[in-house]
Amino acid sequence: MSNFQSVKSPKIKPGKRAFVNSPFPWLLPLGLILTFVFVYPIFEIIRLSFTDASLLGSDYSYTTESYGRLFGQSEFFSMLLITAIFVSFSVVFQLFFGFIIAFLIDQGQKLDLKGTVIVRTSVLTAWAIPGVIIGIIWRVMYTETEVGIFNSLVGMMGMDLIPFLSDPTIALISVIVANVWRGTAFSMILIYAAIQTLPNDVMEAAKIDGANGLQRLFKVMLPMLAPIILVTLIIISIDTFNTFDMVMALTGGGPGQSTEVIALSIYTTIFREFNLGQGAATSVVLLSINVIMTLVYLKILGRQGEK
Amino acid sequence: MKISKRWLFGIVFLAFFMVGCSSDSSGEDAVDLNWASPAGYTPQSPVESDAEYISEKVSEFEEENPDVNLNVDVMANNVNEAMARLMEQAESGRAPDLAAIDGYILPNFYDHLQPLDDLMEEYGIDPDDYLPFAKDVVTGPDGKIYGLYMNTDTRVLFYDTDVIPEPPSTWDEVIEVSTKIQEEGYNGLMLPGGRGEGTSVTTLWPLFWAQGGELTDDDGNPTFGEGENREKMLNVLTTIQEAAEAGAIPQRVSSYGAEGDLDQEVATGKTAMFLGGNWQETVIPDLIGEEEFESWDVAPLPQIEEGTDATSAGGWTWGIFTEDEEKQRAAFDLMARLYMSDQGMGEFNNVFGGLPSRESVFDSEYYKGTKFSDEYREMLEEAQTRPPSPEYSKISTEMQIAISEVISGGKTPEQALDDAWNSVNN
Repeated sequence: MSNFQSVKSPKIKPGKRAFVNSPFPWLLPLGLILTFVFVYPIFEIIRLSFTDASLLGSDYSYTTESYGRLFGQSEFFSMLLITAIFVSFSVVFQLFFGFIIAFLIDQGQKLDLKGTVIVRTSVLTAWAIPGVIIGIIWRVMYTETEVGIFNSLVGMMGMDLIPFLSDPTIALISVIVANVWRGTAFSMILIYAAIQTLPNDVMEAAKIDGANGLQRLFKVMLPMLAPIILVTLIIISIDTFNTFDMVMALTGGGPGQSTEVIALSIYTTIFREFNLGQGAATSVVLLSINVIMTLVYLKILGRQGEK
Repeated sequence: MKISKRWLFGIVFLAFFMVGCSSDSSGEDAVDLNWASPAGYTPQSPVESDAEYISEKVSEFEEENPDVNLNVDVMANNVNEAMARLMEQAESGRAPDLAAIDGYILPNFYDHLQPLDDLMEEYGIDPDDYLPFAKDVVTGPDGKIYGLYMNTDTRVLFYDTDVIPEPPSTWDEVIEVSTKIQEEGYNGLMLPGGRGEGTSVTTLWPLFWAQGGELTDDDGNPTFGEGENREKMLNVLTTIQEAAEAGAIPQRVSSYGAEGDLDQEVATGKTAMFLGGNWQETVIPDLIGEEEFESWDVAPLPQIEEGTDATSAGGWTWGIFTEDEEKQRAAFDLMARLYMSDQGMGEFNNVFGGLPSRESVFDSEYYKGTKFSDEYREMLEEAQTRPPSPEYSKISTEMQIAISEVISGGKTPEQALDDAWNSVNN
C-alpha cells in the first residue's frame, strides 16, 4: 500500500494528500453549482422580501412592511384557502387516478392485453404538454357557449349551459379538474415503475396464504409501495403549490380572485404590479409552506413506511 | 514560467486580432444606431406582411445610409416588463439610441428623451396634426415634442343593423335593447368583464372618464376611490351590476379579459352587439362571413348619461435617447421612413391594421382605411389614454378584479370598490 502511494503521488504533501483522498474534491463542483443556482437565489429572495424594491427602479430600502402588508390583507388568507383547496384536491385525485391507471396497466400486461403501451403513452402525453397549452386547451373545452365542447354535450342533453369559468365556485372546480388531468400521468408513471419492482414471490405467498384481492392490495401491495408513494406525494404537492402557468392561461385567477393561487399571485405582484418586495415576501411564504409540508410528510408517512 | 509566456503571447495576439477585426468591420465614419423595440415593430415581426414592409423600408434606409449600422434589440414580450427594463436603462444612462415606448407610458421618459421639434419641422411633420390625445402624450411640460406617435387604436360598439337598427347610446338603452334581442334568440351586450387589460380600457375607463373621473392625480397617486372620483367609479360598477342583474350582459363575460376573447361569441352568430377594439373589424368577416358583415356598423360606446362621450386610445410611440446629433438625425430619418411620414404612417397602418395618429394621414393617398375609418377618426377626438402613473398597473389589476366580482355576483359594487381601493393603497 505504501509503495502504491509513493508511486502515485510522490510529491504531494501529507495535508494535501488527505484533501485529495477525501470526498471533498468530488463534492466541490456540485457544492458550487448548488450554491449558485439554489442557495444564492433563495438568499436573494429572502433579502428582497425585507425591502421595498420595485421592478421600476433600482433604489430600495430595508423594511418589514412587505410582510406587514401581506398578513394585513384579508385577500391573502382567502388566497391561502383557495391554494389549500386547489392543492389538496389536486394531490388526492392525482395520486388516486395515478395508482388506478398504473394498477390497471400492470394487470393488463400480466393478462397479456393489447394496447397497454398505447394507454401508458397517451396518459404520459398530458404530462409532456406545457402548462400554458393545457390551460388554453381546457379553456376551449370549458367555453360557456354552445360551441364549447362540454357545454355542447350539456346542451344536447337539454340542460342549461354550465358557467365553468365565470361562477367563482365552479371555476375553482374546473381548474382542479384540469390540473388533475395534467398531473395524473406523473403519479401514474412513478407508481407504475414501483409496481414493476414489487417481488412476485411476496405477492404469490400472500395469495397462497389465502389473502383475497383487496387484502393483497391493502395489506401487501400498498405498504410495499409506501416509500414511492411518499416521494410522489412530496413531488406533486410541491409541483401543485408552484403551479401558475396553467391557471394563468385558463382563468387568469378570476372571476375576481376565486382561482388566484399563491404562485399566480407572486407572478401578478412582481410582473404586473412591479412590487418586487411584496412578491418576494409572498415567495418566502410559499417556500416555507413547501418546506414545512415536506417535513410533515416525511415525519408522518416516513415513519409509517419504516413500520 | 514557460506557461506564463505562452499565456501572455496568447492574450497579446487575441488583443491584436480583436482590434484588427473591429477596425475592419466598422470603418472610420460609421455610426452604430441601437434600436430597441418589441418584435412586432422590427424586421423580425412574427406577422409576415409586417416583417416584409419593415424589412423593405430598413433595406432602403441602409442603402441610402451606408455609414449607419443598425443594431436591433428585440424587447421582452411582456410589455410591462420591457418598459420597466427600458426605464432602468434610461435611469442608469444605458438607454438605446432609439426605442419604442407604449404610448401612455411616454411621459415617464420625458427627462431622458431628446426634444424633436427641429427635426419634425425639417421633415414637415406638424405637431398640431396629431390627434388631441396623441399631442397631449408627446408634448412635455416645457411644450416641446418628445415622442413620435406612430399608430393608435380605439374602442367602439360593434352592432348588427339587421338586428339592432338604432344602437344604444346609454346603459338604460343597453338594458332595453338587450332584453329585446334576447327574446329573438341573441345574446345581450358582450364586453370584456374579467381579468385582463381589455376590461379596463374597453369597459371600465370610458364609463369613468365620460363622467370626468380621474384615476390618478398629477403626481400619479391613485384618486379613483376617494371623493367625487369614488362616486363616479361606484356609478360605473353599479351600472354594470344593474345590467348583469337584468340579464343584459351574461355572467360569462366575467371570464373575458381581452377584446379578442369575444371573437368566439361573435363566431356563434348569436352576438349582435359587443364592445371591442377597432382592429376586430378585420376579424369579424372571417368569423361570420363577408356577406353577414355587410350589415354591421360601429357606434360610440354607450355611456351612463346621454350626451357624454369617451373612449380609450392606445398605440405606440418612438423616443430618441441619444444626445449625438448625427444619431438623432439617423434615428428620425429611419422612423419617418418607416412610421411617421404621410407615406410611412399610411402604408404601415394599412399593413399593420392600426389607425394613424395624425389627422392628415387619414386623408392621405397612402392610407387606404377601412369601412369605419371615418367613424374611428371622429371617436378618437374624444379619446383618452391611460395615466402614466407607476401605480397604474396595480389600479388596473384591482379594478379588473372588482368588476369581475360584481358581474359574477361575488361582491356588491361598494365592497368591490372599497377592496380595490384598500389593495391599491395597502
